[in-house]
Amino acid sequence: MIFPFEIPLLLLLLVTAAGAILVKDLMSAVLLLGTYSFFLSLVWGWFGAVDVAFVEAVVGAGLGTVLFLLTLFGTAPKDTRLHRPPPSLLTLIVFPLLGFLLLYAASDLPEFRDPSSPASVHISPTYLEQSYQDTHTPNVVTAVLMDYRSLDTMVETVVIFAAGIACILLLRRQVK
Amino acid sequence: MTTFFFYVMVLLAILIGAYLYRVLQGPTIFDRVLGLNGISTKAIILFIVIGTYSERVNMFIDISTGYALINLVGALAVAKYLEQKGLP
Amino acid sequence: MDILSIIFIVAGLFFMIVAAIGVVRLPDVFSRSHAVSLTDSLGAFLMLVGIAFHEGLGKNTLKILVVLALLYILNPVIAHATIRAAFRSGVKPWQKKSS
Repeated sequence: MIFPFEIPLLLLLLVTAAGAILVKDLMSAVLLLGTYSFFLSLVWGWFGAVDVAFVEAVVGAGLGTVLFLLTLFGTAPKDTRLHRPPPSLLTLIVFPLLGFLLLYAASDLPEFRDPSSPASVHISPTYLEQSYQDTHTPNVVTAVLMDYRSLDTMVETVVIFAAGIACILLLRRQVK
Repeated sequence: MTTFFFYVMVLLAILIGAYLYRVLQGPTIFDRVLGLNGISTKAIILFIVIGTYSERVNMFIDISTGYALINLVGALAVAKYLEQKGLP
Repeated sequence: MDILSIIFIVAGLFFMIVAAIGVVRLPDVFSRSHAVSLTDSLGAFLMLVGIAFHEGLGKNTLKILVVLALLYILNPVIAHATIRAAFRSGVKPWQKKSS
């Protein structure tokens, strides 16, 4: 019996997300978010998007945890305790309604791994057939990211670099 | 053999659930760190088993190496922070 | 070769199940760290050796052995750092109640 393996992974994701919301201090929430990134990376790996999984593991679980910890390092212990008021009636009504609407809309999406869905008949075959002649890169995703969309990727890298510089400046001032 | 690896994957996911119980429940913060360490070990192995299951191990092994190193950085940062700051 | 890899993987799973039971059942941080670092490392060792047998000789097996060596070094280091932080910040070891 072989069932879709993403179901246990998504269950673990749900439990971790609920725990990160319900936990009592910020430190534990940071650790739970690191766990969440590990599980999300496993989900990407199971879907075959290996590069996305790598980015999720490095940025979410590694850099995110370390940066959150450095931020918590500059705060007092009483700031890291969370006092949650009970949710209001409006929240309890609106958010389940919103989730129901999203699920209702998701039932119109094409079937997973459907070969005749719009995404896989329109432009993907072109990339799959011609990327090796164009770029001589065996991995199609790498070819798309680093060759067809290289300017986009370069500007993204600039944005991330600027954000990193801003983080370093802010954190250094707090430590002194 | 493929079916065997599938069941190995499911069993590893269930074991991750046991560690997740410790991360969610843990009385002290150190329990959570230890549980996170165990989850990352399981995730590394689960990645390699997923790679073996889909017969593309060469792509997945690189990630698991990165995973192991990233996990070291994160866990050492947590340990350093807690050692200097004391119990929250 | 398949039989050998199945034997190794099942042995590794056994040790991992024992480690998971230990993580859930043991009473405090210091004793749980034994389950996480020692037993888990042995389980990971056996499972990765089993997968390496399944792969056969080649570049992939070499990479799997690199991951194995990394796990075998890093897992006890992380457990030791965590436990040292726990000890220095004053977590009391669990003692059997003498009543």
